[in-house]
This record gives sequence, structure tokens and C-alpha cells, in this order.
Amino acid sequence: MNLDELLYSTYGFSSFRPGQREIIERVLAGEDVIALLPTGMGKSICYQLPAKVLPDSVLIVSPLLSLMQDQVAQLKKMGEKSVVAINSFLKPEDKEKIWSKLHSYKFIFISPEMLVQPFVKQKLQQIRISLLVADEAHCISQWGFDFRPDYLRISEILPSLRFPQVLALTATATDKVTEEIKEYLALEEPYVYCHPMDRKNIVYDTKKFEDGREKIGFLKDFVLKFNGPGIIYAGTRKKSQELSLLLTELGISSAFYHGGMEHQDRVFVQQQFQNGELQWICSTNAFGMGVHIPNIRHVIHFQLPTSIEGYVQEVGRAGRDGKPALATLLYAQGDEGLLESLVMDDLPTQHEIEEVFRHGAGATHLIDQGIVRETAFRVVSYWITKLPLEGVVRQIEQLRIGKRHQAAKIKELISRQQCLRKYIVESFDQQLSEKPKNCCILDGIDYSNFEAFSQPQEKRLPLEWQDRLRVILPI
Amino acid sequence: MLFTELILAIMKAVNRQRTISSPYHLIKGKKSGQTIQDIGYFGLYPYFGVLPKLDKKAYDQAVQRLFSQGYLMANEQVIDLSEKALELNIRASSLNGWKYRGNENIFLSRLSLIVQTFSHISQQVKSFDPVVTDEEVQSWVKKYLSRIQFRDLAVAQAFKEELLTTLTDTEISETHKMILMERLTGFGLSGLTWQQIAESKNLSILDAQLMAVEALHGWMAAIERSKPQLLIGLMEGIIQQSSLTETAQRTEKLFDRGFSLEQIASLRQLKSSTIEDHFVELAMNDPYFNYTPFVNSDLYEAIIAESKRQKTKRLREIKEHLPEASYFQIRLALAIKEEQG
Repeated sequence: MNLDELLYSTYGFSSFRPGQREIIERVLAGEDVIALLPTGMGKSICYQLPAKVLPDSVLIVSPLLSLMQDQVAQLKKMGEKSVVAINSFLKPEDKEKIWSKLHSYKFIFISPEMLVQPFVKQKLQQIRISLLVADEAHCISQWGFDFRPDYLRISEILPSLRFPQVLALTATATDKVTEEIKEYLALEEPYVYCHPMDRKNIVYDTKKFEDGREKIGFLKDFVLKFNGPGIIYAGTRKKSQELSLLLTELGISSAFYHGGMEHQDRVFVQQQFQNGELQWICSTNAFGMGVHIPNIRHVIHFQLPTSIEGYVQEVGRAGRDGKPALATLLYAQGDEGLLESLVMDDLPTQHEIEEVFRHGAGATHLIDQGIVRETAFRVVSYWITKLPLEGVVRQIEQLRIGKRHQAAKIKELISRQQCLRKYIVESFDQQLSEKPKNCCILDGIDYSNFEAFSQPQEKRLPLEWQDRLRVILPI
Repeated sequence: MLFTELILAIMKAVNRQRTISSPYHLIKGKKSGQTIQDIGYFGLYPYFGVLPKLDKKAYDQAVQRLFSQGYLMANEQVIDLSEKALELNIRASSLNGWKYRGNENIFLSRLSLIVQTFSHISQQVKSFDPVVTDEEVQSWVKKYLSRIQFRDLAVAQAFKEELLTTLTDTEISETHKMILMERLTGFGLSGLTWQQIAESKNLSILDAQLMAVEALHGWMAAIERSKPQLLIGLMEGIIQQSSLTETAQRTEKLFDRGFSLEQIASLRQLKSSTIEDHFVELAMNDPYFNYTPFVNSDLYEAIIAESKRQKTKRLREIKEHLPEASYFQIRLALAIKEEQG
């Protein structure tokens, strides 16, 4: 079979992106595969295309609801009808229909917590699965920045599914995380595809300030001098709103985006940005998933990110079109205090561990009564099924050390005296092959590249409701 | 209508007989016995469930503003309206919460997706990210569009024309109409967030949201009146056949089959007090409700007389003078439509 023809007839693309062909060939050869592809490199094609050839269903385990919804929407947009998403938001009236024709779906998306429910497990055992895709597989790593205890439970279901062929996809993984993925997914000799982490067109900049006021001042000058589209990552919802207001007052089009907004408003902001109606998005880390905008020129971190992995993922949303993009990390003295608390706050305390132990993994009332926080509860209730009390305490202590280590790595971005690109690449156990001319703050940055992008055209918004309707429906 | 006007309108109607949290429950559309029966007692039908996602903090802040601006006054146990509040001329509203039950959102979602589709295909763009992600709405719109043969440009034009005419004929302000249009999305022109809408009009977010609901209720009523060929289709399933809550309907069915209140409670495995709530709701909605199985006519008359004498609908005050009546009997009697008494 000719993969190029299949690619063209399915997507209308005439060539693969780097890595895709290798991964797809191995999958079709029946091998287990771990694929490390940076965001925006077309990860989903790696299972969508094989699905066209494989005889039975493809089961995609997806840890994030928003990501799952986005992928389902993308598939549907392409005209694929045989898709179903199984998550806790499933309506009772739809369930019956889905279970009865489960075998007929080509793509079955499922969240980890649904995967391990006995009923669901039983239904899955009755159908034939050609391929199990573990999306965002780094979430399996308890050392990772995105640990989801539920995800570990994939390993529990593998025997009952008779160990199907596995494709593990992730955008960020160190050697250590890759080892963990192998272990938990029981992959004996997987083919590991590792794409170079480095994005040559992204330039790494850091700016240090005495205090927060100076930082704000810099940001003001920056947005007046450079044009978007750009994302400004703020640490908190409140901060994202404040920054957006600041930009609006300067007469620059911007909007904020965070998880506290209603769903429809988030869709609107995303579409405004996609349409070029906004220059800047001021956002928490909630923004980015499922955003397909090739021409983002700037990613600014107004506060220190909580891990290198997270940082690389956020920065990686810039410059998908291959043109120059600038990543600017802002730091004011004392910011690491905030970082420390952001990183450590999630960890279960001794008291929380003991409470969950006393009441058992089913005691969700502890969350409702505010005795144990939700994330803490999730983590501890996973571990108490595996370890005795002292073991869990030790496990969490290890986690704390790991997190501290992550925070230290981020702080080094600021204090580093040598090439940032090299530092970032080496954090992922890779070697930097060659440096671009415009590299990072420590090797000198030529900013003129970024000044070149032209001022976006000022759009006049209709003033009367009839006018707006006429613009929307010019018929 | 502004959000604070909504609170004042409700406080005026309950006339010092309810706490300051009762407007909150009403606006959110809480389906408790108390809220449902208050709707009947005080004629609060328009305001039921108009902002189901209302945040308690935001509500409390609005109330605080009403205190500090001198509209509300704390007076021992009850909240009083000041002269300033009583004199305030609250604009007429097209709100009809009891009738539309939050379904205006389904109407708007359908409309958004249809308009977005027309906007793109009429400008030769075949694929776009749907602005409404709810699958139920998506599949409804797909069926609707194929039924009206949406690829025909004349259909799109007719749809737009109906939209223009009916909205022009709706008696709401131009600002109301603009807010609705700003929630719609077209090719190259995205919908605006509540924050963006509020800011551009110097309103609070709650004001903008309330005005959108008001606008939709007014518009939907206009569409029901004039029944335009294409737009009327969007009203499918929007208006509830019965104004009763579903659970009260089930109680009604069992009662009609001859089961007693206690039997219904045990059959449905619900508390008797819950079933009592249902009967109060039934009494409120049915002008011919037969109360005699629950309260004899003499006691009924006595309760009504006592309520009139004291000019109150507070249960405790009535019960003090009529200890032989149960709270349920008092609530039931008060719920019955006045014309029957």
C-alpha cells in the first residue's frame, strides 16, 4: 500500500512531516511505538492514518477532556463519522446506543477514569481493538509535570484487552519518562521515535527586573513596539484579566482567557484570536490546547512557568509557520516565591494522606467537606491501593523532591550564563546539533526580525445591530 | 432591565415577606417547594430561572450595592425597600422565565450555528469550526438545515429577512438587539464575550446577560405570534407543554390514579414533605385544583381570612392564630388561585 497516496486522499497533503512516516510504518508493521513529537508536528495523523488500514477499532486514551473534545471535533470536521467519545459527561440516553454499537466505531476516545470502570472494561473486552493509543503519554509519569494518577490505570486494563498493540504519543519526555512509559504500558521492545526538541525559529529571551512595576513597564513598551499575534501567559486567572485590561487601555486589542470563563466565551476568544481580530491573548495555562494558529509571533511568560516541560510546550505554540518567533520570559526579584508555592501547593500534606488512609479511597466526602483537596485526594487514593501508609508518605516525599528539582531547573533558565537553547535541549536528554544565528539572550538576539511584522489593520466594528447582521450575512 | 432592578422588582413583589436570598433562588430557578410556591403567591412568573448560572458572590455584591446606594434598608428581621426604591420606575420587561425555562439558550445556540453556517457557505467557505460544540444542538441543526434546503441562496436570504423583520418588530431597545447580534458569529467576525459586550456598553456582565435573556424572551414571543416560516422551526421543543416540573407531573399522575399522598411518597421513595411540595405546585398551576382531600373548606376559608386580616403570607404568623392548621394546609390554601377562593 502506498502511504503517500493514502495521505493525499485522506488529508490532501502531498508529503509527511518529519517523523510521521517512520511512526506510521512501524505501527502498520504491528510494532509497539513510543513517539515523541513536539506539539504542532501532527501527532494525530500517526493514528488516524493507520486507522484507515487497520481492520478494527482504534482505542484512544486521552487524559484531558478538552483535548479529547478537540480531537473528536477535528475528526468530524474532516468528515469522519465513526467517532465516539466516552467520558464522564456522557448523557444517560446516549450510553445505551453507544454500548450497543461500540464495535462499529472506528475511533473510540476514552478518559482513563472511564477505562477502568468494570462495566466499561467488560464492554471493551467484547470488541476487537486493533490499536491502543495512549495520548499525552507523559501523564503516566509521576515525576512528570502533568502526572495523572488515573492514567497509571491503563496498565490494569491491558491484560483484559489481551495486550493490544500500543502507540504512546507525547510531546515532551525525558529518557526517564520514556522508561516509565515502557514499564507501565508493558512495552517490551517498542520502537522509540524521538524528534529533536529544538525549534530553530524560536528565539529564547529572558528579562530580569528589580520589581513587579518594572516588569509591567517593560511589557507595556514591548506590546507597543512589537505586534502580535502573541500569547502572554500569566500565573493566575486574576493576573490574566489585569494584563488584558492593561493592554486594552493602551489601545491594543487583547482578551483574557482562563478556565473560569463560560465555555461559549472561551470559544469566542479562541475564534477571535484565530481570525486575527485580537493581537494578544492574556491567559493562564488553560489556553493552547487545540489551538491551531500557525502565525503566533510571541509567547511571553509574565511569571515563571512551573516546569521546563510546560515551558517548552507553551513556547512551542509560537512560530508553527516556520517564521521567526520570540519567547520572552519575564522575571522580577522574588518571583520564585510564587513559583515555589504554585509547584508545591498541589502536593498532599501529611494530614491529607492520613485522612484518606483512615477513610479509604471512596471517601469523596473528604473533598466536599474541604478536608482534602481534589488533586491531593486523587493522588493519595491511587497510592493507598498500592502501598502502606509509610510507603505513601515516602512516595509523596519523593514527589516533593522531584518537584523541587523541576522548580530549580526553571530558576536556572533565569540565572544561566550560557546558551539557553543548549540548556533546554539538554533538559530532554538530547544534544544540540547546531545553533541558529538568532539563538538566545546569552548569544545575542537580533530583534529587528520581529519588528518587521506589519501593523494589523484596524477593523471597524459595526455600530448598529442591522449592520452587524449584514456583515455576518452579506447576502 | 438591569440586574439590580431585577432584584428590586422581586423584593417589591414579595413585599417584606421574604429574606434577601429568595430573589437569588428565584433567579437561579431553584425548584424547591418554597421558590415554586412563591412564584404563585407573589406573581413572580417572569423572573423564574432567568440566570441559572448566577454566582452567589456576584449576587451578594449587587445586593451590597443596593444597600450602599440606599435602595435597601435592614430593618430588624426583614429587608425594607427605601422610598427611593419604591419610587423607582422599573422599565417594563419582556422576561418570561416561567414559560421559557432557560430554553432560550437552546434557541440561541441553534440560531448561532445556523447563522454561522449561512455566513460561511454564502461566502464559499465550506469548512469551519462550529461555534456551538454541544452535539445535541449540532445534530438538531443538521436536520433543520437539510430540511429547509439551506444550500439554496434564496433560503439563506429569506432566513436573514425573517430575522431582520421579526427582530425589528420586537419591542425591546436597540441595545438589547445589538447584544443578541454580538453573540452571533460569522465568517471573519466572531461572537463577543460577555466581558467585551458589557465593557463596550458600560454595563456589568450580569446586566448584559440579563438583557440578552430579556431580548430572547421578547423576540421568541414575537416569533410565536407572527410564525415566520423558517424561524418558527427553531421553536421546536422550546416551550414546555406543562408548566409543572417533571417530578410534580409524576406525582400528579399517581394522584389521578387514586393514590394518596402517603402512598405516593412510599411508591416514589421520597419524603412526604417533597410530595407536599408537589401538591402545592399543582395547586398553584391548576385553577380547578380540588383541595378538599387535604384541607376542609372551613379551615381553607379560615386560612384565607387570616392571611387577608394580617396582610401576610408568612406561614408562621398565620399558624400562630390557627394552630389547628398544618403548615402544609396553610401553604396549599395560599397557593390556590385567588379567583377560586
